[in-house]
Amino acid sequence: MRSRSLVMTILALALAYFVAFPSAAQGQQPDLDGIKAYLLQQCAKLEENISALKEVADAYYGLSTQYDFDYSALWNQETETVRSLLLQARSSFLSANSAYELMEGIVAGVPALAPFDVDIDAGVPSGEGDGDVVRFDVPLPDGNVLRQPGNFFYLAELTLWGTNPEWTAQGVQPDLDGNGTVDFAEVLPDANVFKGIADAFLQKSRELSVEAKAWRPRESDAFTALVVMIPTMDEYFQAWKESRYVSGAQAVSPQFVATSRLQDIADILHGLQVVYTHIEPLISALDPAQAQQIEHELSALRDFVLQVLSQETAGVKFNPEDADLLGSEAQHRATAIAGQIAQAAAKLGIDIQG
Amino acid sequence: MLRKITTAVIVWSVVLGLGRLAPPADAAMLDPALSAEAVRSNLFEAQLSMLVDKESARRSVADARLAYLAGLSGSISAGDPALDVRIRSALEAAATSVEEGEPAALAAARARVWTGLLHASYKMVMRALSQGDGLAARTWLRLREFRPPTRLSLPSTDATVAVEEFLNGKTSPSRAQDRVRRDLYDAYQERLRVALHELKQADDKGFLRRRAEYAALAQGYFDLLADAYQEQRGESGREEAERAFADLLDAALGPNAIADPLSRVEQALAGFRAAPLTEEEQARRAAQLQRFLSLVPVEYARGVRNGQVTKDFEIFEAIAFADGAMAAFADLQPGLESRDPMTTAEIAQLLSALEEQLHAAARGIVSDPDDIASVAGRIEGLVADVIPEEWLSQTEAGDFDLIATLLDQMVQAAENGEYERAESARLEAYAILETGPEARLVAFAPHIVPTLENLFWHGVGDHRGLAALIEEKAPPSDIDATRARLIDELAAAQDALRAGGSPVAVATNAAVIVFREGLEAVLILASLLAGLKRSEYRHLRRPLWLGAGASLLATGLTWAVMREALSSLARYGERLEAIVSLTAVGVLLLITNWFFHKSYWTDWLARFHAKKRTLLVGGVGQWLGMATLGFTSMYREGFETVLFLQALVFDAGAGIVLGGVGIGMLAVVLVGVMVFVFQTKLPAKKMLIVTGIMIGSVLMTMVGKTVHSFQLVGWMPTNPIRSVELPYWTGLWFGLYGTWEGILLQFGAALFVIGSYFLAESLQKRRLHLPAADRS
Repeated sequence: MRSRSLVMTILALALAYFVAFPSAAQGQQPDLDGIKAYLLQQCAKLEENISALKEVADAYYGLSTQYDFDYSALWNQETETVRSLLLQARSSFLSANSAYELMEGIVAGVPALAPFDVDIDAGVPSGEGDGDVVRFDVPLPDGNVLRQPGNFFYLAELTLWGTNPEWTAQGVQPDLDGNGTVDFAEVLPDANVFKGIADAFLQKSRELSVEAKAWRPRESDAFTALVVMIPTMDEYFQAWKESRYVSGAQAVSPQFVATSRLQDIADILHGLQVVYTHIEPLISALDPAQAQQIEHELSALRDFVLQVLSQETAGVKFNPEDADLLGSEAQHRATAIAGQIAQAAAKLGIDIQG
Repeated sequence: MLRKITTAVIVWSVVLGLGRLAPPADAAMLDPALSAEAVRSNLFEAQLSMLVDKESARRSVADARLAYLAGLSGSISAGDPALDVRIRSALEAAATSVEEGEPAALAAARARVWTGLLHASYKMVMRALSQGDGLAARTWLRLREFRPPTRLSLPSTDATVAVEEFLNGKTSPSRAQDRVRRDLYDAYQERLRVALHELKQADDKGFLRRRAEYAALAQGYFDLLADAYQEQRGESGREEAERAFADLLDAALGPNAIADPLSRVEQALAGFRAAPLTEEEQARRAAQLQRFLSLVPVEYARGVRNGQVTKDFEIFEAIAFADGAMAAFADLQPGLESRDPMTTAEIAQLLSALEEQLHAAARGIVSDPDDIASVAGRIEGLVADVIPEEWLSQTEAGDFDLIATLLDQMVQAAENGEYERAESARLEAYAILETGPEARLVAFAPHIVPTLENLFWHGVGDHRGLAALIEEKAPPSDIDATRARLIDELAAAQDALRAGGSPVAVATNAAVIVFREGLEAVLILASLLAGLKRSEYRHLRRPLWLGAGASLLATGLTWAVMREALSSLARYGERLEAIVSLTAVGVLLLITNWFFHKSYWTDWLARFHAKKRTLLVGGVGQWLGMATLGFTSMYREGFETVLFLQALVFDAGAGIVLGGVGIGMLAVVLVGVMVFVFQTKLPAKKMLIVTGIMIGSVLMTMVGKTVHSFQLVGWMPTNPIRSVELPYWTGLWFGLYGTWEGILLQFGAALFVIGSYFLAESLQKRRLHLPAADRS
């Protein structure tokens, strides 16, 4: 009888505990496999879109060869085909870009995968700027080689949107959207450069998929990705400030003309939210209020970015001082969130990889 | 959108709040961090919308006020009524600025509200700790800011860890308060510095709202640190500084130039550090500064050739080290300014210039490596002039920091597939261990040394060594696993060094070092002196003594030079030891050979010398050989012994160490005399055998240690014997290290000695069996 009472008491206490601490009932194990599954899903999307980009590049190169790289003749004779191909290429680029940004927080934040971020989205050309330089060269079909020319999205964007005149067809002014005028970024890419970049890009995205499959996620990887990547907001807002979206014709950056950097920021934050969702049970078991605070602030940060993006899309023009204010606000929030995650990691005894 | 979020926050805070935790001390208290964020983001929303939608801005300020009153005011007013009044007043100012259409004033009000909330949170954490309420401290601590993170620094967790330890009963309230204070003061002082920097930038760009906001932020952060300021500069100093900040804000809010009040603020802050670094921390930063600076020109020179950047990553590493030096200097700057403002200002200026040169190189504008070395050297010289001498003696923590940084870089390089760069970082880290903490480790924790060395080179147990892994281009995860183990061992080493030792332990360590390092030399000298007792060879004793005496002089000279330039010379210690050891081994091999042969071939030698008329030359050769042997066998370990002993001097002073040296030398001399007396009493043949065994043993030890030195400096390959794990003392005392090269060469040395003996004996026998005519 006494033992039965004891069992009932224990059960009652256990029930009370799980009611009071629901996260404990959900288990304290982070779902690291869930993070990997998300990463692999995004890798597949990236590969799929870069494959599509390569198909276009191959077709465009084939056509150019037929016209002996006489782009005026090509445009005049094959206007609709070329227009369709290039619009398709731009669409594939944008989809690939989004697929990558949605996982960039993981790729760039996990030390074992970070070198891919340098090559795919972050690395600078050799001899330019203070950032990490890409590790690859791009061999072109004509036998020339672009030596450490910058990351793949940079290369593809500058080629397709024509912000590097050296990689565009000279002497032709195509009205790609057919609105009667040749607007900014309406160019024909140099087929040789376009194909070389698309080939190398596809190879790199396949390498990333292989590496991602081999990756064995650890708690430390997930925490490190969050602590390292979340406070990079300032860099992204700086890039936005220097892009045509804020600086207009005075823009110093040839990049981020295809899509607003704000969209990239929102996508990166979404990826980081996914990571956080999978490790949240660990923090919640230790300090539920802190877990909720992080979740809420991370969500609020992304909402903040989306709000600015929606205003921009609606036609609001932000001046550099506005951009500075918005960037510092995002950075403020991001630093606070990363700080809280670092505190949680310390309490859990999880190493943040330096 | 933000309004919805804010509303959701408030509702969510009410519903969830701390409901799932134990009931808070203050039942009216909602989650402070979330409430504060609601206040802040509402004010930001007001700031964004006031120029286009005044009504929306008005509502946002009202929401901010509501969030403050509902979630924070009650607790703050109970803890610090004056702060509550100030925050409310700032909220009123925000409302007024919206009504009057003053965006700069609103920006400043927002900054005042936010820094007021941070200030309140700090006070609430301290109050909760003093009241023993760890949960409340934990809750309020989530409302804080951090130092802006950099590549070399992550957000500090000291305060959080302190509160958690307090909750677990592992630390006292006052100790926890001290750690929280240090962490938060450090963060907010850095925030103050950044705010002033951003203020200048905003002023340069003509961003008037930003200018007002940063001026108000700076004032708010200073207010948070003002108690510490008053403790250091007195009440009048505080009042003066507060006036400077108030004037700065006034100027920033209006159309006036801010240069003058900003200059007054900077003057007021010169030399102020809210959470003064302890002596140990200052020494650590000073060591980091020196170490990082010394690496900048090294990395830069590797990355540049003929005016072109040939290796980008070397330039980025140079920049990373310069950033590290800047960060360390920023921490030291206030203290250094109070010691020597002129020199400190010059260091700051030169560091900025150095950074500019490095960044320019990254953009293709390449400075000559000699210029970079010259600037870095100049800064190092100035730093050495301005920092107290005693800090130089406490460089170990900085060394350990740098080793950890370099090991991280090594892993990163491996992850990038840049194994050459990874090897470079590994060697750099190893060189710092060798030239820095190892001397004291040998004295205080010798058992850790071989583990550390093996992890750097060929491995321990399941962990393959870093050198081997990098050479094989092993997966980065394997390299990282060994790095992690190495970091653990380094932490243990640091703990052992922190524990230090009593004067008796230091003296004993000094005695053991002198005895161990001197034993080999004394065994050789005593054996040879005994072997040279016959009158015809007595003249060779003199050069042996002279060589030994010269080595003592050289060791004394080394001591004197090392005192002046310990850190700069220490890195050559391993190489010097390798070269001198090789010489000693070579000479000892010659002498061993000669020693056995002369015992049998006396007549032959005499005849040879007479015949060739090279008696003079042969005599000079023997004389020089003996003198060299006397010198090298003693000085071989002289450099390193001095290094070890000087490390001990830093711990306990020269008197205690020299006492230990005296005991060690006495023991060595005693052993030497015993060996000499013992051998001289032996019959010639037995004496020969005993001497042979003695010299052979010493030779094997010397060969083992020499091979080890060569492997350490990378002059010889390392192939570990995986099936054998030798204890550390076999290496320390007998030169036995578990590598094929070491063991095989030691075996070869033994074969040489034994072979030399038997060869001499067989030749003697053959000679005895020859007819007399042939012998003549």
